[in-house]
Amino acid sequence: MAAVTATLLKPWTPRLFQVRWSRYNPYYLEPEVRKEVYNIPETDLTAEQRKEQELKAVRPIKAAPASLHSSGFSDPMISKFINMMMKGGNKILARSIMLQTLENIKRKQVEKYHKTPDAQKATIECNPYIIFNQALANCKPVIGLVSIQKGGKYYQVPTPLTDNRRRFLAMKWLITECRENKHRRTLMDEKLAQELLTAFSNEGSVIKKKNELHKMAEANRAFAHYRWW
Amino acid sequence: MALQRVPTRFCRTVCQTHPLHLSGQSQQLVTASAEPETPVKIERAIFRTPEQNPANHSQQDVGQYYTLPPDQLRSAFPHGLPRRFQQQMKTFNESCVMVRQPALEVMSHLKRADYRQPALRYLLYGITGSGKTMALCHAVHYCFSQGWLVLHIPDAHLWIKNCKELLPSSYKPARLDQPVLASQWLKNFGVTNKHFLSEIKTTKSYVWTKRESTEEGRPLGELVEKGLTRVKSSSDVMGALMRELRTQCGGPGGPRLAVAVDGVNALWGRTTLRKEDKSEVLAEELTVVHNLRKMLKNDWCGGAIIATLSQTGSLFTPRTAYLPHSLLGKEGFESLEPFIPVPVPPYDEKEFESCYQYYVERNWLQHPYGHTEEGKKELIFLCNRNPAIFERLCASL
Repeated sequence: MAAVTATLLKPWTPRLFQVRWSRYNPYYLEPEVRKEVYNIPETDLTAEQRKEQELKAVRPIKAAPASLHSSGFSDPMISKFINMMMKGGNKILARSIMLQTLENIKRKQVEKYHKTPDAQKATIECNPYIIFNQALANCKPVIGLVSIQKGGKYYQVPTPLTDNRRRFLAMKWLITECRENKHRRTLMDEKLAQELLTAFSNEGSVIKKKNELHKMAEANRAFAHYRWW
Repeated sequence: MALQRVPTRFCRTVCQTHPLHLSGQSQQLVTASAEPETPVKIERAIFRTPEQNPANHSQQDVGQYYTLPPDQLRSAFPHGLPRRFQQQMKTFNESCVMVRQPALEVMSHLKRADYRQPALRYLLYGITGSGKTMALCHAVHYCFSQGWLVLHIPDAHLWIKNCKELLPSSYKPARLDQPVLASQWLKNFGVTNKHFLSEIKTTKSYVWTKRESTEEGRPLGELVEKGLTRVKSSSDVMGALMRELRTQCGGPGGPRLAVAVDGVNALWGRTTLRKEDKSEVLAEELTVVHNLRKMLKNDWCGGAIIATLSQTGSLFTPRTAYLPHSLLGKEGFESLEPFIPVPVPPYDEKEFESCYQYYVERNWLQHPYGHTEEGKKELIFLCNRNPAIFERLCASL
């Protein structure tokens, strides 16, 4: 009797506590940094855009993070990758590694480009941003595995993944692969450049890892109905 | 990614540079007077000049690129080109240098100087990354193509820091030798001036050790060989070589001598080398520095001395210093005086445009936003037309 009353009087804590969460009140709006949005003249605004503008007049806006630019050279994928590579808050180092990686990729490709005969020049891709995005897209898994407990045993059940989760997994695999499985003396930007170039042509260990995940998911098809969401 | 972290050595709050003297041929006038190239052939881009011989470069080639032929490259610049330029050469599969006003000024002086008078000293100065080393390389290429004897020291700062082996000199007790450095330099000197090694003969006999000596009248090649085989006496060999060149190039039949030193402020600065008792080594106590200082004095005839100031590799100098007096110090300035100061400014509009077009043509500037007008304005804003910053910026775009 005393135990039951004790459980009822316990203070409530949520079952799932957020690890990374924003301290902002949901009332606050996201900042808009793109220049094109502000250049649209008054008359050309659609109804939604007009509503958004009116909302901005009354609601407070969050402070823009330091890495968000209005420049045309900014790329959100690259920014995310830099944040994931960052250790201990050292954004400067992470950013310089990323830029050096892009330069390395470009150097290798441009050198190849200038040495090939004119007929094959069109097949070589020199833009490091395109190579990065394509390599990341090649590394993204289509289906993932989740550990579900049923009847005392844990089963690996295939599940669909959200876009954010897929992007996260691709980036995480790339970074851990470069950090752990390469030669100790090579620099991170060289390792990353090599890995990105191999992933661009659908070879390399990260692509292999993705394919193994797909194979496992295919093998565990029987347990797919254990998923209830 | 608009404000890429620029290496700190490029950050300057003051954007204007003050030329020490206002010469009649001021750089700002060039843009106004240079018309666009008339008949542009379809095969040749507008930023390339048809004139590949540096002797024929003139005012109308300013802002345009000329190619260094690969065979001359290996002999003229075994160690002379900056590291980033070497990477660029490898990537683009060609080595193109921009013709700029400071280099043209130095070359015009070299063409008209009287070589019976003592050697003239030219000092290239400017802010970090404005193109002083490339101007020096252009002048060295001119001297090499005219058949001069070229004494090129790619970076004098490397001589006063990071030296693992310092030997006490056998010639003078207070001095210190740098055998590995000297032997490497001798090798590169041999590569550049191969055909002079058999022509010039020594005028004095030199005794290296108890058992080794070089007699009078032996070709210079033997001297260089001695320095390469007997690494211990290579610094003294360097000194002897410099002395020979000084005395012999002044004569009417001798070849002209071009002494090109990059980072000349290192010779009068402090060093980070320590002797065994942890006391600091003065620049004067190093044999190679001592001999080079003697070379830079204008008491010999029949040649020219082209030098560059450099804050980048220098020790114990403030990052924003670029003028001769602040980098050379009192002692250096007085020993180099009188010299012809040549200011090297960052790119002007025509040169920047040319560089931009070159990068676009070589597929270096890949980002699509960089090809637009606003992207170009953003790039100009970010680098302030500084050549080195622009190159680093475009590397990741």
